[in-house]
Amino acid sequence: MDLLSNLALGFGVAFSLENLLYCFAGVALGTLVGVLPGVGPLVTIAMLFPITFHLPAVPAIIMLAGIFYGAQYGGSTTSILVNLPGETASAVTCIDGYQMARQGRAGPALATAALASFFAGCVGTLLIALAGPTLGEWALKFGAAEYTAIMLMALVASAVMTQGDAVKGFAMVVLGLLIGVVGVDVNSGMARYSFGIPELVDGIGFTVVAVGLFAVAEIVLNLESRQAREVYTGPVTGLMPTVRDLKDAAWPTVRGTAVGAFFGVLPGAGPALSSFATYMLEKKIARDPSRFGKGAIEGVAAPEAANNAAAQTAFIPMLTLGIPATATMALMLGALTLQGVATGPQVMHEKPDLFWGLIASMWIGNFLLVILNLPLVGLWVKLLTVPYRWLFPSIILFCCIGNFSVSNNPFDLYLCALIGVLGYVLVKLECEPAPLLLGYVLGPLLEENLRRALLIARGDPTVFFTRPISAAFMIATVVILVVMVAPAARGMRRGT
Amino acid sequence: MKPDLRNNRDLIAGLLFVVLGGLAIILARDYPLGTTMRMGPGYFPTVLGGILLLFGAYVLARGIRSGEKVKGEWGWRPLAWITLSIVLFGYLLDRAGLVPATVVTLFVAAAAGREFRFKEVLVLAIVMTAFSVAVFSWGLKLPYPLIGGYY
Amino acid sequence: MQVSFIARLLAPVLLIAAAPAALSQTYPAKPIRFIVGFPPGGTNDIVARVLAPKLGEYLGQQVVVENRGGANTAIASEMFVRLPPDGYTIMLNAPGHATNPALLKLNFDSIRDFAFITLAAESQNLLVVHPSFPPRTVKELIALSKRRPGDINYGSSGIGTTVHLSAELFQFMTGTKWVHIAYKGGGPGLIALLSGEVSLYFGNVPTVIRQARDGKLRAVATTGAKRTPAAPDIPTVAEAGVPGYEVSTFYGVSAPAKTPRPIIDRLHAEIVRALNAPDTRDRLQGLGADPVGNTPEQYTAFMQNEIAKWGKVIKAAGIRGE
Repeated sequence: MDLLSNLALGFGVAFSLENLLYCFAGVALGTLVGVLPGVGPLVTIAMLFPITFHLPAVPAIIMLAGIFYGAQYGGSTTSILVNLPGETASAVTCIDGYQMARQGRAGPALATAALASFFAGCVGTLLIALAGPTLGEWALKFGAAEYTAIMLMALVASAVMTQGDAVKGFAMVVLGLLIGVVGVDVNSGMARYSFGIPELVDGIGFTVVAVGLFAVAEIVLNLESRQAREVYTGPVTGLMPTVRDLKDAAWPTVRGTAVGAFFGVLPGAGPALSSFATYMLEKKIARDPSRFGKGAIEGVAAPEAANNAAAQTAFIPMLTLGIPATATMALMLGALTLQGVATGPQVMHEKPDLFWGLIASMWIGNFLLVILNLPLVGLWVKLLTVPYRWLFPSIILFCCIGNFSVSNNPFDLYLCALIGVLGYVLVKLECEPAPLLLGYVLGPLLEENLRRALLIARGDPTVFFTRPISAAFMIATVVILVVMVAPAARGMRRGT
Repeated sequence: MKPDLRNNRDLIAGLLFVVLGGLAIILARDYPLGTTMRMGPGYFPTVLGGILLLFGAYVLARGIRSGEKVKGEWGWRPLAWITLSIVLFGYLLDRAGLVPATVVTLFVAAAAGREFRFKEVLVLAIVMTAFSVAVFSWGLKLPYPLIGGYY
Repeated sequence: MQVSFIARLLAPVLLIAAAPAALSQTYPAKPIRFIVGFPPGGTNDIVARVLAPKLGEYLGQQVVVENRGGANTAIASEMFVRLPPDGYTIMLNAPGHATNPALLKLNFDSIRDFAFITLAAESQNLLVVHPSFPPRTVKELIALSKRRPGDINYGSSGIGTTVHLSAELFQFMTGTKWVHIAYKGGGPGLIALLSGEVSLYFGNVPTVIRQARDGKLRAVATTGAKRTPAAPDIPTVAEAGVPGYEVSTFYGVSAPAKTPRPIIDRLHAEIVRALNAPDTRDRLQGLGADPVGNTPEQYTAFMQNEIAKWGKVIKAAGIRGE
C-alpha cells in the first residue's frame, strides 16, 4: 500500500545515524527550553538559525521540529513542580499538577504527563501521515464565523473552570478578557489601553502574565505567614503512577488527544486553547468534579495530551499548505526556504524523503522524549526536597531571565512585578488565576473573529447560523448554557 | 447585625473589580464605539468593563452581607522584596550585565524569606549565577553582556 | 608656563590627528549588535540572520542579531537612537520605519537620529486573487471595483503593513473602494485568501508565488517599479494600468546618527561585499529579497521619500495609530 511504502521510506531516512543524532539533539534541547519559563522554541530556533545553513534540509528540519514538540514535554515539568507554566499550553497543568506535587505525588504527575504526551504525539503524527492534506483542506473551511462560534462556546464553558466561587471566577474571566484587549486592535489598527507606552502597543505577553499571576503569587503565598508553611506536605509515596492512576488517566488522555488534534489543525487556535478546552470537558463529564483542582490526575493527563497533539498537528498547515500559522512555524519555513525547499502543497510529492522522513522522525522523537523524561522524574522529585528558602529565589531568577529573553526589554519585568502584586492580591482574595488566563487567551480571538465575521457579512448576525459548521458550534453553545443553567433554575423553582 | 467591613474578603475583591471595570470604561471612552453590528474598537472593552463592574458590585454587596474575612495574614513584606528583586533584575541587566543582575536579584529575593543566612545566600548566588551563565549565555547563546552593560 | 600652554594647545590637535588612524586600525574590536525591530520569525528577522554571519566574516568580528520587537520597529528604534554612535550597533530598517511617523507619536526623529548606511535588499508584493474572482488583469480589476464599490473584500497581514498599504495606495491612485479585512500576520491572511474569505491580497512574493504557480491562487501583478526576477512573466501594477504605482518592502541598515563617517564607509563596503557573495545572494533571493546595496546618500533620500509618500496615503485612508 502506498502509505506503507512511504513510511518505509520515511523510517529509512529517519534511522540514519546523522538524522537520529539531530533528532535527539532537537528534542533534548526542546525539553530544556520548555522547562525554562519564557525561553521557548521560538527564541531557540532563532538562535540556531545560522547553523541550519550548513546542514542539509532533512536533518535541519528534523532538529527544529524536535525542539518545537520537545518543548511541550518540558513545559509541564515546572507547571507541576512549582506552579510555573513553562509554555503557554502548560498553564492548565498547573491547576491539578502542582496540587499533586504538594501532596507528594509529583512523580506520578510527571510520569503521567510524559506518557499522555507520548500517546498524543504518536496519534498526532499518525494523523499527519494518514490525513495530512485532507485535514489541511478541511481547516480552510473554518472562517471567522466558525472561530467566533468556537470561542463563544469556550467562553460559556469557562464557568466550569472555577473550583469555588462561580461569580468571582467569571469576573476573573472578564478581567482576563480585558487584559487581552491591551494592544493594537487588529480590525482598526488602534492601540488600546497602551497609555502612550510603546511596549504596551503589542499587548501584554503571556510570560509576563503567567509568571506574575502563577509563580509570584504562589511564592508570596508560601512566605506570607511568620510560621513556616510546608509547601510540599505529602510524603513522597512513589515515583511512578499506580495502576489506578493509569486507569483513571486513560480515557482523559484519549479525549485530550482528540481535542488537541482538532484545535492544533486550526491555525490560530493553538495548543493553549486546546488544553483549556479539554480540561473543561473532563471536569464537566467527570463523576466527581470536585476532585479537580485538588490533584486529580485527569487534570494532568488530558491537558498534556491535548497540547502535545496540538503541537504535532500544528505542522499540518505548514507542511500541506505551505503556510505558517505561527511565528515559530514561519521560522522553520524560512529555514526550509533557505535550503531551497519550496514548501507548498506539492512538497509531499516533490520531496517525499523530507516529508516522510520528518514524520518518521516525529515518532522517533516522541519515543526519545519518553525515554529522556521518565528517568528524569526521580531527579525532579529530588529537587523538591531542596529547602524552600533556596528554591524560591532560584525560581524568581529563572522567571526574570525567561521573561527578559522573550522581548529583551526591561519593561516586561517591571510589568511582571506589577502583575505579580495584582496576582497575589487576587489569589489572596480567593479569586482563581486559571479563569483569568483563559479569558486572556480567549479574548483577542473572540473579539477579532466576531468583528471580522460581522464585517464580512456586512453586519448581518444570521451568518453564524446560516453557515453549517458555525451553526453546529452555536447550537452546542446553547446546549452547554442550558445544561449549566438548568440545575440552578430547577433548584430555584423547588425552593419557592 | 452590624456588617464587619475590615479585612472583608469579598468586599475588597468586589471593590477591586468595580475599580478595574470602571477604569476600563473610562479609559475606553475615546475609542469609537460603533454599533453592535459594526463594532468599533471601543465596543468590546466598554462592554467588558461594564460586566466587570456589575459583577464587582454584586460581590461587594455579598461581602458586606456575609462578612467573611480574608484567611491568613497579608504578606506585604515578602511581596515587596520579591517585586523589588524582579524590578532590579530588569534595571540592572542592560546596565550592569547578567552577573551583577543575577547576584542582586538572588539576594533581594532571598530577603523575602523567613530566614536570611548570609553565607548560604552567597553560596546560592554563586552557584546559580554560574549555572545561569552556563545555560543561557554559553548554552543558548543569548546575547547578554556578562559584566558591564550597554549604557 | 609657556611649555604647558603649548602642550595644552597641541594636545587636542595631536589627539584629533591620531584618532582616525586609531579608529581604522582597531575597529571592530568587539562584537557588533545587529538590532532587529521584530520578534524572531518574520522575513525581516530572517534577512538579518542571513546577512549577519557573512558580515561578521568580513568584518572579522561576530555580528549578533538582537530582537527587540514591538510597534513595527518603533520600540527598537527608540532604544537604538540613544546608543553610543561608536559603530558597534547597527539596525535593520523596515517599511515600518517609513510608516510609523504618520501613525504613532514617536520620541525620536526618523531621519535625523539615524545615519543611513545602505538599502541592503528589497522585495515586492504580488497581487493575488482567489480563483473564483473574475478579474484577470489590473484593468479588469479596476473596472469591477468601480461597478461594485465597497463590496469587494481584501485581506492584509495587519494595519500598517506593506500588504495593507499596497492596497491602500492602489485604491488611492485608482479611485476605487474595497473593504479591508485585517488579519494578524501573513499566515492567517493567506489562509483567508485560500479559503475564499477574502477575494484579493497583496502578499509577499515568496509566500504567495508557490500557491499561484500551483493554481490555488491567480497572480495578477507585482507592486515594484520593475518586474521581479522571481516572476518575470508577471507585469507590474504600474505597467498594467496604474502608472507611477510602486510599493517595495525594503531592508535597510543604519547606525545611530553621529557615527563617524569612516565607520559608516567601512560598514557600507562590507555590507555590499556580503550582499555580493554568491551564497548570501542566493539565500536572499530565495526569500524574495533582491540585493541592492546603494550609497548612504541614496538610501537617506529614499527614506525621506518613503516617509512623505506614506504620510499622504495614510492620511487619505484615514488610518489612525493611537
